[in-house]
Amino acid sequence: MNAVFVLGLAILVIGVLSVAFVRPKTYVARLINLEIPAWGLLLVMLAYDEALALLTFVAVTAISTFVIVRLMEWRDASC
Amino acid sequence: MIPDYSIGLLVAFASAGVAFFALMRETDGLHRLLLTDLIEVVTLAFIALVGTDLAEALILPGLVVGVSELIALSEIYRVKEGYVRPPAAGLRIEVMESAPGILAAILVVYGIVLSGFSGGAVAGLGVIFYFLCRDHSERFELIETASGYSWVFWIVAFFVFMLLPQYWFFAVMLAGSAILVKVLAKMSLIGTMRGGPNA
Repeated sequence: MNAVFVLGLAILVIGVLSVAFVRPKTYVARLINLEIPAWGLLLVMLAYDEALALLTFVAVTAISTFVIVRLMEWRDASC
Repeated sequence: MIPDYSIGLLVAFASAGVAFFALMRETDGLHRLLLTDLIEVVTLAFIALVGTDLAEALILPGLVVGVSELIALSEIYRVKEGYVRPPAAGLRIEVMESAPGILAAILVVYGIVLSGFSGGAVAGLGVIFYFLCRDHSERFELIETASGYSWVFWIVAFFVFMLLPQYWFFAVMLAGSAILVKVLAKMSLIGTMRGGPNA
């Protein structure tokens, strides 16, 4: 059993728990915690040498973070 | 000895269960959107566990569909809640004025050298970066028209493959450059999502 694979699964579980039961319950805290399971998934992909999927996931995560931050910005401006 | 795949599957199922449980108990809209993102990450782990070329081929469209779904849901949520545009532009830094042109030019030239789908992605990233940092009062009908014509060229290249196979090299070049323009145009639209007059 590969060490990278075990570490990836462990970080995935920790990250899911930290996002699901986030404290303090704010949008920014949840968005930042969302990076932890993403790291776990990246390590699992790395263990199986899925380079193309890994790079695309990094790019898509950047775009989705941008979309959510934009939504929060608009929310702050109108409340 | 239990195989890796079974352990991974068990962990992924447990994580997905926790994520769906949190989504069930959540009532706030934006929190639910964030949890949808979490579920996307967890369920991609199922596919990644397969660990072959098939997994890679399945993850790529999954990611593209995921990000477009997120963009669409965020737009629906924004309209539903009636959020308005922030009054003034946030960032006023000197490097945001001068760097985008140079970096975008480098990325676009490198993307054209690569050509094809990955070239389109690299060049599109350059254009996204440019639109994010600068204003975006460009003519979007022009970008969309270029995208439509490049799609037609892509189809024409496939007809050349089938009907005139001896001209395969011409068809490869046509398809490569057409998909470059197509992916570039689609990706550049993401960079303009700030609710301006065109968006």
